[in-house]
Amino acid sequence: MAKDIYIGEVSANEEIQIDCFLMKVKLPGNFAEPLPGQFAMIRIAGLHDPFLSRPISIYSFSRSKSHCTLGLLYRVVGKGTQILAGLIKGSQVEISGPLGGSYAIDENKKNMVLIAGGIGVAPLSLLAQYLCQTVCHDAESMTFYLGAQTADAVVGLDHLRQYCYKIIICTDDGTLGEKSLVTAAFQKDIKKYKPAETAIYACGPKPMIRSLSTILDGKYFCQVSLEERMACGVGACVGCAVAVKDEQGRKAYKRVCADGPVFDLQKVIWE
Amino acid sequence: MRVNIAGLKMKNPVMTASGTFGYGEEYADYVDLNWLGGLVVKGLSLKPRLGNPPPRIMETSSGMLNAVGLQNIGVDAFIKEKLPFLSQYHVAVIANIYGESYSEYAQVARKLSRAQGVHALEVNISCPNVKKGGLSFGSDPKAAAEVTRRVKAETNLPVIVKLTPNVTDIAAIAQAVEEAGADAVSLINTLTGMSIDLKTGTPHLKNITGGLSGPAIKPVALRMVWQVAQKVTIPIIGIGGIMTAEDALEFMVAGAGAVQIGTANFINPCATIEIIDGIWHYLHDHKIKSIKDIVGTLRT
Ligand SMILES: Cc1cc2nc3c(=O)[nH]c(=O)nc-3n(C[C@H](O)[C@H](O)[C@H](O)COP(=O)(O)O)c2cc1C
Ligand code: FES
Repeated sequence: MAKDIYIGEVSANEEIQIDCFLMKVKLPGNFAEPLPGQFAMIRIAGLHDPFLSRPISIYSFSRSKSHCTLGLLYRVVGKGTQILAGLIKGSQVEISGPLGGSYAIDENKKNMVLIAGGIGVAPLSLLAQYLCQTVCHDAESMTFYLGAQTADAVVGLDHLRQYCYKIIICTDDGTLGEKSLVTAAFQKDIKKYKPAETAIYACGPKPMIRSLSTILDGKYFCQVSLEERMACGVGACVGCAVAVKDEQGRKAYKRVCADGPVFDLQKVIWE
Repeated sequence: MRVNIAGLKMKNPVMTASGTFGYGEEYADYVDLNWLGGLVVKGLSLKPRLGNPPPRIMETSSGMLNAVGLQNIGVDAFIKEKLPFLSQYHVAVIANIYGESYSEYAQVARKLSRAQGVHALEVNISCPNVKKGGLSFGSDPKAAAEVTRRVKAETNLPVIVKLTPNVTDIAAIAQAVEEAGADAVSLINTLTGMSIDLKTGTPHLKNITGGLSGPAIKPVALRMVWQVAQKVTIPIIGIGGIMTAEDALEFMVAGAGAVQIGTANFINPCATIEIIDGIWHYLHDHKIKSIKDIVGTLRT
């Protein structure tokens, strides 16, 4: 069949900031090329506690002649990620993916604005890489707003610098970059971005996305990556529901894994 | 490997459990659906159902809680949009049905019986996550019997009644539906449970309670299959925490003529295929000619 569960080998698993890990997983060469916004499900074979696989957005990806390397950036938040953090080089993991949909990219937009809060930098880094290699030929056209609580929580900056020239860093306590919420920093600049010429992509904690929704007020094209607890990751259990407006504008519960994880911000219903 | 569960012919005794395999298409890239004995689709109601607000799931030790609340596209959309896809495969398609009243159960059953490509009905009288109907039908022998009669009156398809474990005496309900004409029973549905976030002092599920599934419930399910097997003569389909071929075979020894695989699909999309393969090897290694020869062979 077309899709499979892949046995991957952990080739690195480093704590790059406090409680924040970057895992590299070596996978067979037939693992499909992920698009920005997609995720992978990861689990440790045979383990029943934690029981479910963990969905993690794809942060980086590279392919050599014989194999692929998947980069997963994750914060330790619970039992599952705690155990992932304990994996050493050479450990085996089960991976399925790439799963879910990706960000919609409109090449005609002059400004690409990426807004990340905390670990939300993960999928947006892959997007920055993709944009840099495809549509953003001009360094001025992509702006990355990167927010975190404190300097020690800013992750992936060096990686990001390879693909993005304009990075605006904000921390809640001012220990790095501007002392500001990332959404407020973006709001200060909003006049620079004409709605018709701008595409906005965001990922971060719910309050951040919600405040962005208020700031944009439906005037911009904006896509967001959402998170929800998952079981199957393929659309079968309807466990990962989020409330969004359907085609007729009525409330519906969509599956983050299969209908998302990328949604149009305007469609998201805040319950 | 062939089995015949009250007229429902399957090439092997392994089915997918309702609500854990979508409408089949979600897993079709992972599993060749032609290999499955049977495929039970997500519970269908007369009208589409929105389902419960999130969060809907929470992991537990060796299992999970869910409170999906029977979100589904409704029986008409199923027949129009999902059934044609499933009909391409050589697999027994079982429609799991749900109603909020006797008449809703009857109407859903009628619509599905007229559709091409449905091989049996599984009547869910046991969903713990919806407010009306559901559980109350499943916990009262009289109501369970009445649902069975109403569905039987609408269809010539084999009728499987799916029982809830959230009752004092599951065998009494099984007997009641057998007398009312059920062709088979399947058990168990999820066990009601809950989980609390100590940091916030709130339940992990928006619905507060949910249904527990996965390997955590297997011993309970096995016990119930065995108890029901003592009391009814109609075939039993065993469900609950089956992860491996050995698990499935234990259910057969306890009295199940076939099994359903639920939560295991989530952590291993190929679980059903591995279980089919494992059962085949077991029969072969032990020179057992037919599944029938191990069903209900528990020695006490
Ligand atoms: C996410 C989820 C959704 C379910 N939805 C249904 C349903 O729609 N109808 C039904 O009869 N049972 C439903 N069930 C119950 C399963 O079919 C099965 O009886 C139960 O999960 C126990 O089996 P397991 O431990 O192998 O998962 C659902 C279970 C889960 C986990
Ligand atoms: S995790 Fe099962 S539908 Fe999304």
